[in-house]
Amino acid sequence: MPLPVPRPFQRPARGATRHVEVGGVRVPYELVVDPWPDPYLDLDAYDPDADLMPINWGPQHPSTHGVLRVKLFMDGEVCVKAVPYLGYLHRGVEKLCEKLSYAQVTPIVDKNDYVSPMMNELAINMAFEKLLGVEPPPRAQVIRTIFAEMQRVASHLLWLGTWAMDAGGALGGGATLFMYCFREREMILDLFEEVTGARFHYNTHTVGGNRHDLPGGWEEKAIRVLDHIESRLPEYEDFLRDNDIFLVRTRGVGRLDPLLAMEIGVSGPSLRASGVDHDRRRDAPYAAYDRVEVKVPVRDAGDALARYEVRMDEMRESIRIARELLQDVPAGPITALKPVKMPKAIKVATGRSAYVGIESPRGELGTFVIAQNERKTAHLPYRLKIRPPSFHAMALLPYLAPGATLSDIVVIAGSLDPILGEVDR
Amino acid sequence: MSALPDDVRAIFERFELDLPEDPPDLLVEEGPLVPRDKLLGLARALKLEAHCLFFVYCAAAHYPPGPASRIPGMGEGELPDGTLVAYRVRRLAGGRPVDVPFRVWVPTGETTPSLVPVWVGADWQEREQYDLVGTVFEGHPDLRRIMLPEDWEGHPLRKDYAIDTPHFPWR
Amino acid sequence: MAVNESGQRFHHAVYEKFEAVANFPGLDLLFTTADKVLTWGSQNSLWAFPMATSCCGIEFMATAASRFDTERIGTFTRGTPRQCDVMVVAGTITVKMAPRVRKLWDMMPEPKWCIAMGSCAISGDFYRDIYSVVPGVDTFIPVDVYVPGCPPNPDALLLGFKRLQEKIQARREGRWVEPDKRPIDGMRVPSIPRIGAPDRLPVFDQAQLHNVLHMDPDGRMLRPDAPPMPRPPEEDPE
Repeated sequence: MPLPVPRPFQRPARGATRHVEVGGVRVPYELVVDPWPDPYLDLDAYDPDADLMPINWGPQHPSTHGVLRVKLFMDGEVCVKAVPYLGYLHRGVEKLCEKLSYAQVTPIVDKNDYVSPMMNELAINMAFEKLLGVEPPPRAQVIRTIFAEMQRVASHLLWLGTWAMDAGGALGGGATLFMYCFREREMILDLFEEVTGARFHYNTHTVGGNRHDLPGGWEEKAIRVLDHIESRLPEYEDFLRDNDIFLVRTRGVGRLDPLLAMEIGVSGPSLRASGVDHDRRRDAPYAAYDRVEVKVPVRDAGDALARYEVRMDEMRESIRIARELLQDVPAGPITALKPVKMPKAIKVATGRSAYVGIESPRGELGTFVIAQNERKTAHLPYRLKIRPPSFHAMALLPYLAPGATLSDIVVIAGSLDPILGEVDR
Repeated sequence: MSALPDDVRAIFERFELDLPEDPPDLLVEEGPLVPRDKLLGLARALKLEAHCLFFVYCAAAHYPPGPASRIPGMGEGELPDGTLVAYRVRRLAGGRPVDVPFRVWVPTGETTPSLVPVWVGADWQEREQYDLVGTVFEGHPDLRRIMLPEDWEGHPLRKDYAIDTPHFPWR
Repeated sequence: MAVNESGQRFHHAVYEKFEAVANFPGLDLLFTTADKVLTWGSQNSLWAFPMATSCCGIEFMATAASRFDTERIGTFTRGTPRQCDVMVVAGTITVKMAPRVRKLWDMMPEPKWCIAMGSCAISGDFYRDIYSVVPGVDTFIPVDVYVPGCPPNPDALLLGFKRLQEKIQARREGRWVEPDKRPIDGMRVPSIPRIGAPDRLPVFDQAQLHNVLHMDPDGRMLRPDAPPMPRPPEEDPE
């Protein structure tokens, strides 16, 4: 039997205001739903006469963005209950990191969120730096921020291409936008390859700084590429925003209650599309985000179209931030510690713990690390927990899928931008 | 814990919790250790009075039998086998977010109350910790494995679980 | 005369007709020519089924996208196993996913080939020792081409497709020799011997097939009413 979830907040009278204040957070009133769909719906009690049809979606399906499997119970064309099954990519990263020293963990966590590896490296190294009490030098901070913003553009481009392909042949041959987005994404990967030597899985962040310095003339090249991508963005919007079929498939689809999103821990563009103005870059600045002004795009519609709009605006904003930082990269060292020659060089034996959450393209990517208490094994983390934003977004699927048609569920799941590598870890 | 606002500090004091004082050179945040019988009350107070709506994470760590000094704030003496569950919730009101962490000690063989009645986001998080670490959350609506197949034996993130355990016939 | 599965020779009236057709003068020339044309066709239109589980799947997408474009060499990506010739295993395969991979492989019609893309699919890479990861996809399906890298660059994957085309051509012409499966000296032996390795027990094939056939659709590994799985013989403690 599902437990009753207490609802402390009284729903305000309809038509009073467009926004309501709940717990000090201003949320759009139209999105507040009561009650939420029941993820543990008893199918026998649903309707004895209904001829429910279970459909297995995944784990190997082109539109699941990985190896997600969802069991959908369909009443006709409408979903009644959705049960996601995870773990088809459970690689035991957290157990593996307990066996590796602090210096060795970075290339392992690269593979978690494989669409934005820079973010994984940044989150885990910031947690280790917090544990050690090390502050990276300003040049490293700025380079990290530039990498993070360019990675955000690349990640959103990949999302846009694959999601437009999910939304189907309705967009005039489906794969067109996919091809366009990959053309621009390759330019950013080329820039990263010039710095780190790898197209992705860079292993460029270390504890206390960066491993690779920017080569000469890289800044101008990067600015040229960012200008080019910015000039291309209106072309994509012409494809989608002016397309009636796209609007019909996304407008009002997958409306997300901001209170539900906050309780589940959904963050990033999905939360901001539901009207909650929360961004780690602006509210709890890390790296070099205190040097620049971060404007946070927020939408009140809460549907798939709003999530698309937030991501498009974020791309423009990221390009602006990266360009602003690229024009004035401070000189100096790129690491605060000596370059680590021995993996056991970094030791923490305090038994304390630290948590760092950064704003990845999908939301808050956090790392919770507990240090060893024994001196003998002080080079190994005792427990390392990664808080993946996609895991929380996938927990939303049993709430968003009921009431939607099968074709809408593909659009909804794609608009949440899940990466199964970090869901399952 | 100097970053905690006064109302959250007042809630902690009302539940008679010790706030571990950080050494000034460490930028480390840890929450108070909460007795299991006070956990649900504290969670409700944090949500309703302090408006901590955002559930950040729930992470369990396994500790084999040994001295209690391994865990900060646990005191002295010997500890039995058990898990330490760390929670973190967040208040988004007023621009700058406030993180509120707290921890619970659960000896092996005993249960801890589930926080699903307070934050629905604890649902999958607690399932994952049950699957990987083996902490049993009492009152969870659907406590079963989430990452591993349901016929799996053991909990991989426990310290006594070998990392290269075979699984016939696939590895 | 024909030979059945247990090696016994037996006779059936239909084989007389087969032999009469096969001995017709000039037919062998026709069949080899037709075979040559079919091989040329299949090697230049390898339809790929992306068994894309993780990071390598993104590089597979990049290979299929605008800059690299696999369609230049006739390789087209389809999302269904029933119409494809090549399965590209791109990414880590876990014990929960392995029965599905095997099932999809069994769904593909002959002739079929497999490309193991990336070090996770080849050997498990650094996840090799993890409790939930299969140490290499060739412990349960036969692999034709290995593309190393973590992940391999798109040009490496294109080269893998070209190597597969060469292999198909060489096998038709009888030039192909199965390489020795002996692992490189110093490399650790996988927990399950590869397919084709001399020390591989037949019970592994039976157990993996058993696992696929009695898989529970509800996410568990085996159905509750499944017969007991064949197990490898216990090692003698002495």
